[in-house]
Amino acid sequence: MSIEALNITKTFGRFTALSNVSLEIPTGELVALLGPSGSGKTTLLRIIAGLEFADTGTVRFDGKDISDRSAGERRVGFVFQHYALFRHMTVFENIAFGLKVRPRQQRPPAERIRAKVHELLKLIQLEKLAQRLPSQLSGGQRQRVALARALAVEPSVLLLDEPFGALDAKVRQELRRWLRQLHDEIHVTSVFVTHDQEEALELANRVVVMNEGRIEQVGTPDEVYNHPATPFVYNFLGNVNLFHGRVDNGKAYIDQKNTGHVVYVRPHLLEIDRQPNGGGPDRFRARIKHINSAGPLVKVEAITEWGDPVHIEISQERFRTLELRRDEAVFVIPKDVRVFHANEGSPAKPM
Amino acid sequence: MAATITLNRQSAFSSAAGVAEATTEPALVRGILIAIAALFLGLFLFLPLAVVFAAAFAKGVSAYFVSFREPDALAAIRLTLLAAGIAVPLNLVFGVCAAWSIAKFEFAGKSLLITLIDLPFSVSPVVSGLIYVLLFGLQGLLGPWLAAHDIKIIFAVPGIVLATIFVTFPFVARELIPLIQAQGSEEEEAALTLGASGWQTFLRVTLPNVKWGLLYGVILCNARAMGEFGAVSVVSGHIRGLTNTMPLHIEILYNEYQFVSAFAVASLLALLALVTLVAKSAVEWKAKQQHAALARNWEEVTV
Repeated sequence: MSIEALNITKTFGRFTALSNVSLEIPTGELVALLGPSGSGKTTLLRIIAGLEFADTGTVRFDGKDISDRSAGERRVGFVFQHYALFRHMTVFENIAFGLKVRPRQQRPPAERIRAKVHELLKLIQLEKLAQRLPSQLSGGQRQRVALARALAVEPSVLLLDEPFGALDAKVRQELRRWLRQLHDEIHVTSVFVTHDQEEALELANRVVVMNEGRIEQVGTPDEVYNHPATPFVYNFLGNVNLFHGRVDNGKAYIDQKNTGHVVYVRPHLLEIDRQPNGGGPDRFRARIKHINSAGPLVKVEAITEWGDPVHIEISQERFRTLELRRDEAVFVIPKDVRVFHANEGSPAKPM
Repeated sequence: MAATITLNRQSAFSSAAGVAEATTEPALVRGILIAIAALFLGLFLFLPLAVVFAAAFAKGVSAYFVSFREPDALAAIRLTLLAAGIAVPLNLVFGVCAAWSIAKFEFAGKSLLITLIDLPFSVSPVVSGLIYVLLFGLQGLLGPWLAAHDIKIIFAVPGIVLATIFVTFPFVARELIPLIQAQGSEEEEAALTLGASGWQTFLRVTLPNVKWGLLYGVILCNARAMGEFGAVSVVSGHIRGLTNTMPLHIEILYNEYQFVSAFAVASLLALLALVTLVAKSAVEWKAKQQHAALARNWEEVTV
């Protein structure tokens, strides 16, 4: 089922959570709402779910206006950050809840409910724990039960609010992969909220980057990471170095003087060299302050000739060839940069 | 694995012992403090309780039971049961509604409502009774209208029930508000997204989560409803066999020097207090048991 949220505005007292946000999600997509806390991503999700109602704007499922419908009528599956499992019910009862509360005419017979619950327990690989209480499960297990409970009612869309936020790193990785697989199998339109850019880029087909109640950019993980539309997106997705810069003949240069442009360079797009190569404007001097060679890339911290810190990531291979040392003076060459006007959000001259 | 567990237990134990050592007073101080507490309890609680039962049985067991065969005594017991039987369910419903709305919604006048719920606690019961006399009495605000329609509230059963409801107002609500607030509304939201109606959500999710707190509130509410003297005394008019509750009946008997009967009925109220205490402890124990069972199972799972 496709989701459209059109011109949504929502305020809480004096705080504007969403201002005139529009978003379209085609059927079967797995979309991430990504942004810092207070960016309005959870509010947007709750408005789609019907747990919150917009001040102005419309929500449509498959083109049908459902703005006034309650959460129950929308048939959404909602997964909460802190699971929100019914604490006095067993795992089995939790998953069966959505089917058992249906009006008598629509309620499946007890046999069918049991079969459905066992099918879901198998899907989440917790068949043996059907009679446990939520408090007897680990965080990862609880979140899977919450997901099974949401799926039991065969929802038209699946909405997840920071689904892995409360879990430790390893469990989070596993669950992420598992959710990706699950989505490939059942193809229900899914939207999840996260503040973890890695999670959004790894899991989603499309990423919606939000900031201060607005959408900054919508695109595939590749688009938002490699072609960020605004300085905010550039900053939020991955590490970045900021320099003053200037634009000459359509080419951007890093400069120590403030000429109204800001140059953004990702650490892995900076190269280190020992040769001045004529000392052209495409490179600048820096002194190495710290080297961290643990990991797939070597992280080098240096100070530029004008005194700003700069983060550089080079391959282990390159690091070994150069034999870099602390306090060594080197040349830094930006391979790819992006320039924005210092005082506005729009890109100036993309490189 | 087993080794790790024992290690953990041991360290937990030793740290607990360490804390105890740091905060423990010398034996003499401990002894004095315990003695003071015990003396106080004995003097002000156990002694009176013993006196009540001793006086009730002063002329033998048969005299004790004769006191209950008296029609006025039976009427008083019936009236007390009636007043409590109406006040407790009403305050149960009111308490749940008030606690729910205070914990879950933001609305104008919320702090006023919280203050009003506490009013019966802060006002003397005699004043509470007088309020009803001023409202419904013959010279009261609604008195002429009530008299014209031949409705009797003051010096009749309705007045007693009203006064009882008023003084037992806060018990259930006070017990539930912090509980519901602490539990948040995520589980209810989950139930709603799963298609449950508001009523289903309340019955299947909210109520089971607060049932022990609710029971505790009801026990306290009932104890007060049966034992209330001040407010009921003002509105009752002390008509024997008609508007006397157990506490009022006891006072009358005592004033008439019928000590055995007075203390016999009093012993019944004291017995109620004891039963209430036992029930309260049982509820607390049960809740703790459930908690411990969960914690134990949790340990098994995580190990």
